[in-house]
Amino acid sequence: MKHRTLKTLAVLAAIVLPTSAMAKADLVIATDAPPKSMNPHAYSSDANLSYMSNFFDGLLQRKAPEGKLSPALAVKWQRVDALTWKFELRKGVKYSNGNDFNAADVKFTFERMKNPKYSKLLNIANSIASIETPDDYTVIFKTKKPVPWFAETMHQNFIVDKESSVNRDDGDYNTHPIGTGAYKLVEWVKGSYIRMEANENYWEGAPKYKTVEIRPITEESTRFAALAGKQVDIVNGVPVTLFDRVKSMKHIEVISQAARRAIYMGIGNKPNTPFADIRVRKAIAHAINEKEIIEKIMRGQATMANQIPDVPTVGYDPSIKRYDYDPVLARNLLAEAGYSDGFEITVAGPNDRYINDEKICEAVAKYLAKIGLKVKLDVKPKSIFFDELTGKKHSFYLIGWFDGSFDFGRSAEKLLHTPDKDKGMGTYNGAEYSNPDIDARIIASSSIIDRGEREKALQKINRMSVEDVAWIPLHYQQDIFAVVKGKGIKFTPRSDRWIVVKEIK
Amino acid sequence: MTTYLVKRLIQGMVVLVLVSTVCFAMFRFTGDPVLMLAGKYATQEEREQVRIAYGLDRPVYVQYATFLKGVMHGNFGKSYVSQIDALDMILERFPATFELAFTALFISFILGVGLGVVVSINPNGFFSRTIMAGSLFGISIPTFLIGILLVMFFSVYLDLLPSFGRGDTVQIGFWRTGLLTVSGLKHILLPALTLSGYQLAVLIRLTRAGMRETLSEEYIKTAWAKGLSPAKVILKHALRNVMIPVVTIAGLSFGELIAFSIVTETIFQWPGMGNLLLTSIFETDQPIIVTYIMLAACIILTINILVDLLYALLNPRIRYE
Repeated sequence: MKHRTLKTLAVLAAIVLPTSAMAKADLVIATDAPPKSMNPHAYSSDANLSYMSNFFDGLLQRKAPEGKLSPALAVKWQRVDALTWKFELRKGVKYSNGNDFNAADVKFTFERMKNPKYSKLLNIANSIASIETPDDYTVIFKTKKPVPWFAETMHQNFIVDKESSVNRDDGDYNTHPIGTGAYKLVEWVKGSYIRMEANENYWEGAPKYKTVEIRPITEESTRFAALAGKQVDIVNGVPVTLFDRVKSMKHIEVISQAARRAIYMGIGNKPNTPFADIRVRKAIAHAINEKEIIEKIMRGQATMANQIPDVPTVGYDPSIKRYDYDPVLARNLLAEAGYSDGFEITVAGPNDRYINDEKICEAVAKYLAKIGLKVKLDVKPKSIFFDELTGKKHSFYLIGWFDGSFDFGRSAEKLLHTPDKDKGMGTYNGAEYSNPDIDARIIASSSIIDRGEREKALQKINRMSVEDVAWIPLHYQQDIFAVVKGKGIKFTPRSDRWIVVKEIK
Repeated sequence: MTTYLVKRLIQGMVVLVLVSTVCFAMFRFTGDPVLMLAGKYATQEEREQVRIAYGLDRPVYVQYATFLKGVMHGNFGKSYVSQIDALDMILERFPATFELAFTALFISFILGVGLGVVVSINPNGFFSRTIMAGSLFGISIPTFLIGILLVMFFSVYLDLLPSFGRGDTVQIGFWRTGLLTVSGLKHILLPALTLSGYQLAVLIRLTRAGMRETLSEEYIKTAWAKGLSPAKVILKHALRNVMIPVVTIAGLSFGELIAFSIVTETIFQWPGMGNLLLTSIFETDQPIIVTYIMLAACIILTINILVDLLYALLNPRIRYE
């Protein structure tokens, strides 16, 4: 009897095993964040958009490394007037289910994006007043108010198939992507892996790797072990603490490049608080030893920031200087402002959002204590911290920011403009910094169509914000990638951290 | 017996309701899911749209009542993040966690009882002392450290076993198993060892204590005197009597292994329920968290009741009135 059971098991195993032995993928990528949904509009986080960029196309795309806007599903685009945008679409593109791509899909996509049930990219969708499709391959958008960065976001508004999406079950829509992208989804085992297969008929030509697996490994040490054990080919988010060890591994090439995210201290100028006095804000800026933060806490893996936008962003101004580390000057400024005995200040920030965020907050607290302030530290998980930040509970806090649109105008509206619920401004201006002159310039800049003029206007806003210490820039994070050597993998990291597999050669 | 069972079931229901209440009360302090859902570019107005779409604008007690009403119909709500039925999502992950917990239990039971017996026969030998010291180590060292040490040793230095994932799987009906493929078995070894660590140590100590006590009993001496083989005396006469507490502990902790394999699953990126729970906590995906906690409570309660009943079956002197 026992023998028979064993035999049956053996036969069963013999039948099952060979069929299950799936071929190893041509390329295995480990990432530090899992996808949350296969609905391309479910999240505006770069982690999720990165996955979606392989299954879907936007009207436009950005190519590694500098992220220049280039054609994708649209071949030409222009800003006709302050409110009108015109896109000419590519012909002959097909979805992974065989349906043809045309202007009706674009209209459908952007209308669906207004529905909070399907989309969290409400911001751009709600800015649209009307969409006209004069023919199958032309789309004209009219916006409610001038949105200068409208086209700049078109690489992340992915187009879905109207025909198959209208009546699809939500669960299916959220798990089985149908797009025009370079890859088709084969299998998504949540928390484990995503397997995808090349779209041989892709309009840009079939990608190099036929079968690709992306494995989200959130735990840093596990990601490191996978790399050390040669189980993956490309890894993003190599932890700063393990940088030296990864670098010493012979079979791995480490790529470290400046990320777009700027880490800064938000600070306000509310009347009747010490912060209202610009000398106090300057004193705080002078008190922070950013060089030491980069060396000791970031282990050299960060770049000093003099301003919030990064180099490729419209509005970046190379002439802006930072307030140097000078504790003596800081003390003098405090004394001048009448605070020689200091005052109470709370350093707030998240402890699970940015690289070493908690340690940076601790360091800042230490520097402020050195110039005589009575410092309290208040770091907490991001889910609670950001809730408090938008509730304007903090007056001095650490936050990071980078804008997917490569345009400082949108950042300024969210971070710098006086909070105003009705206009939808200053959502993340937690310390409620307010400067009417800057506010007026932000509003005025949004109607400027000419790019050169726009750049000048935004640079001016940027300069004013630093001069008036509306914030204290600390550093740009560094992204660290690792690629296995000897397999001929050519991987150029993107500044937005997306892993667009068709770009890997 | 029936009265006892009914009583226990009613108690269980009360506990579940309490658990869900505590969960809901707790969410007031875990952050606002709308922030994460609406994205960083959303305006205040757009956030409100999302809040209304998810029913989060209503008072907590209304949300709670709606939830309870849904649960009565077996509907635990949809994940905020993926918009998929929360219970389905967790149950989809159940096989992975169950197999991990089962393998861990298997390892700890075989090794724990086996080593416990060996140690009890010659308590002062070098081997026994090493094992006992090791078991103390197993009890006091935290799970994540055991996991990371195992990964460092077996995956990074020796390059023998994979450090993450579940390997190839086979679908049999609704069950997706990794226990039938070579790659699946290789993948389960390290996480199962990690998860079994604590229990293994407990079982060794429990078996040893029981065995040492039993071995000094009169009837064992009689058995030796009768000239029975050592195997018969130790395994048949002594071990059998030690098994009751051992089985109880092993059974009870099986529920815990399933419900709280979170740390191990995270270290090894095991696609189980624990991993899902942790991800959901980061994403403030409250429906998943509540459903998970209630499911965990349910499993533990059920196993407790089953163990109590088994106890009565194993030992007829115990009666439940």
